[in-house]
Amino acid sequence: MLGTAPASLAPITPARGQRAPYRRPGANAQPVPSCWSALEPLLPRVRKPAQYVGGEHNQRITAWDAVQTRWLLCYPDTYEIGQPNQGIQILYELLNERSTAMAERAYAPWTDLEELQRQHGIPTFSLETHRPLWAFDVFGVTLPHELGHTNLLNLLDLGAVPHRSADRTVEDPIVLVGGHAAFNPEPLAPFIDAAVMGDGEQVTLELDEVVRRFKLEREPGGPLSEQDDAARHELLRRIAAVEGVYVPAFYTARYHDDGRLSRTVATEPGVPALVPKRTIQDLEAWPYPRQQIVPLTETVHERFSVEIFRGCTRGCRFCQAGMITRPVRERRPETVRQLVEEGVADTGFNEVGLLSLSSADHSAIGPIARELADTYEGSTTSLSLPSTRVDAFNVTLSNELARNGRRTGLTFAPEAGSERLRAVINKMVSEEDLLRTAETAFAEGWRHIKLYFMVGLPTETDEDVLAIAQLGIRVYEVARRYGRGNKLTLSVGGFVPKPHTPFQWAAQDPPEEIRRKLSLIRHAIKEHRGIKVRTNDPEEGVIEGLLARGDRRVAAVVERAWQLGARFDGWHEMPTLQLWRRALAETGVALDWYAYRERDQREALPWDHLDSGLDADWLWEDWQDAQSEQQLDDCRWSPCYDCGVCPGLSIEHDTGYTGGFALPVLPSGLGGSTGGSTELPSTPERYASGP
Amino acid sequence: MTLRYRIRWTKVARTRFISARDLTSVWERSLRRADLPIAYSEGFTPHAKVSFPDALPVGVSSTGEYAELTFAAPIAPASDLAALSAALPAGMDITTYLEVPDGAPKLAKMLRVTLWELAWPPVDQTELTALLTTRSEELLAADHAEVIRHRPDGDRTIDVRPAVLALAATTRPGTNTRDAHTVLRAVLRNDGPTVRPTDLHAALSRGDVAEPHAVLRRVQGAHVPEGVRDALGGEVELLVPDVDAEAA
Repeated sequence: MLGTAPASLAPITPARGQRAPYRRPGANAQPVPSCWSALEPLLPRVRKPAQYVGGEHNQRITAWDAVQTRWLLCYPDTYEIGQPNQGIQILYELLNERSTAMAERAYAPWTDLEELQRQHGIPTFSLETHRPLWAFDVFGVTLPHELGHTNLLNLLDLGAVPHRSADRTVEDPIVLVGGHAAFNPEPLAPFIDAAVMGDGEQVTLELDEVVRRFKLEREPGGPLSEQDDAARHELLRRIAAVEGVYVPAFYTARYHDDGRLSRTVATEPGVPALVPKRTIQDLEAWPYPRQQIVPLTETVHERFSVEIFRGCTRGCRFCQAGMITRPVRERRPETVRQLVEEGVADTGFNEVGLLSLSSADHSAIGPIARELADTYEGSTTSLSLPSTRVDAFNVTLSNELARNGRRTGLTFAPEAGSERLRAVINKMVSEEDLLRTAETAFAEGWRHIKLYFMVGLPTETDEDVLAIAQLGIRVYEVARRYGRGNKLTLSVGGFVPKPHTPFQWAAQDPPEEIRRKLSLIRHAIKEHRGIKVRTNDPEEGVIEGLLARGDRRVAAVVERAWQLGARFDGWHEMPTLQLWRRALAETGVALDWYAYRERDQREALPWDHLDSGLDADWLWEDWQDAQSEQQLDDCRWSPCYDCGVCPGLSIEHDTGYTGGFALPVLPSGLGGSTGGSTELPSTPERYASGP
Repeated sequence: MTLRYRIRWTKVARTRFISARDLTSVWERSLRRADLPIAYSEGFTPHAKVSFPDALPVGVSSTGEYAELTFAAPIAPASDLAALSAALPAGMDITTYLEVPDGAPKLAKMLRVTLWELAWPPVDQTELTALLTTRSEELLAADHAEVIRHRPDGDRTIDVRPAVLALAATTRPGTNTRDAHTVLRAVLRNDGPTVRPTDLHAALSRGDVAEPHAVLRRVQGAHVPEGVRDALGGEVELLVPDVDAEAA
């Protein structure tokens, strides 16, 4: 055919053993080839090609030879899902601010592009300059949940980097993971080089410095220039010496004859027996990300997001995020305001998100919301605030934030249907609270309420499950009194027990049981056609459950599932469970034993050597309290109950409450508030009086 | 005083992969970054008043995109639209603007024809240019030229011929002899059933010409004997590219 482009392009990936020259620091580096010219002709053939081109506002491009260390930061899912991730954006900005370092970003290619990449020999690439993964010093991957594990292995393999740590040499990037799922990295132990526990800001900069010094020592004439195998070991040793960094290769897991874990022990001299998490005390010192990426194509959250506080002490026993991110550290209202105003002007986003695990709990949220609402009144900029609180204050706050828009939907998360089960999970919401809140919301013109629940919680009976439907029906009756068009959605998910929570010992419900419980709910509300029920496929929790509490033996399943073709395990479009079941069968790993079995106190857990700050005895006591339906107050406004985090870190909650300030709002509780004022509280003294 | 401006803009390099669906927010955010008082539609979900006459297929480059912007307050067009151009992603630039007087015909009406440019890689250029020249003459001499357009929802037969006003295949010498490659320029009508460059390629290829490796929407406006006159700026883009001028 005339006009056919020459088929073969120059190979992009040099053979192993010849990659070191590209990785050398500064001007000594050989120029790294870009994948762009090979990639560009393929893009018209794939879905949503704009996700692969980069070029967004606020991307940072640094010359390869201008820096000494080069990071590729990755969210192991599609751009659409991963781009808004705040963790990646914080580290991207921090590393790029450093004159000796650069960071670019990578996401997982969808299967259509992956197939073309493999056909054409195009490795995993960075978005900014389309440089190949194998040329970077550090591949920093965030693991917000467990369903990116196969994608991580695939990105390494596609990037021409051996997927097993033991097969990598000093010419390969260091594979570093962080994020919530890194608090149990054992199912990834053979594949990663290191895991960072906790807040990433400081530790990332420290690691960068370790890598930089190491690289300089590797240069000709340097102390490490001659030895290759020993050099990688030395680098891993130095990485393990950074506080909060876990190098799995330096630990081994011992098992009892019956298969239970006995303990995980350090095998390398000098590495810590217990790896502590990192915590930044003062969020004010880290006002990032400031210059947020503005995507050119659709993503799941298109807004300028500001983290208003980190940590949560509500003590919901199912919530891993709340447990591992303690203590609470607030950003000052004026800093929030400044970040928002500068960020909105810089990015052009028309939505602002005030992020945290429970944003209505910021001690100055009232003034923050009111002032921002004033600033953007009459403009097209809207404000949003994720909150799981169930109280009238939340409605007041939402009214304020919705000044510019419609009062459409409000979301509340009672999490469990019965008062008894809410005591078990420590979600302190009474039915009275919820009904009163619904009443307030519909009376003030909101049209749609969404309620979040879980089934499969510990001690749950069918009565508790049916209580979800009954509660839904009662809320719906309120809704109908205020308008025939008002709507209610019940969103019900299956509970997956997570490490470092009081429920880490609990048995997970198998999918058949979850399905049965969901159908109980559907059956009970079928007369009420106005109530919509939204559920996930119960099968989706299976892989998550296996990986969440898996140990090193589960790594064989991850590897096999990936080899069998598992990718994007969190996607409906990718039903990978059959592949996982095959991988389980082939590797002889028993799913039931890992996911559906209750543990006792004596059993060692795969993450016992990783310290989230929570005292093991306290966690166990809280698990016992859960089973006897004992609730525990939020320690921001009640006495300390010694979970272990604050003294361990020698820091404390940093909120408007500390220093004896009276609460602006009470937690919605079983034991207290009787409706009361729905006025927004004023700024707590600590903030009102300035820094 | 008019608050409406028509602009001609480019969509090249990486931005050619931005879909028409995503383009609205790209413009809206750029307008906000440039801090220009764009007008918004009424209603619960207000949209910035930026209207595009038609959608460019994803992956196709263009130096001949147009849009109409309506502002809520007066702007200083020369400096403000330059600022907007700078706020747009690299690859998108505003190249011409025109204030819209009252009673002006609709923008879509001024964009009667498109000058498309299809380019092939620097191989077989002599034979390919000759072949495309012959095929172009044959197509122009015919009454109909039916091709099948493959779509996910089924195949459709399209008659390409009514849309084709002029065709010219040329060899562009490039910066050195190894870069010399074939270029086909086509003037296609914008009214009537849509005929895309892919349909034109299908009509000319007859199975022995590879798909062009680059497609460019050069300019839109009025058909004149030499080529197409830009609807806004008025300059004429030639049907037969002036390769000497390009080289210089």
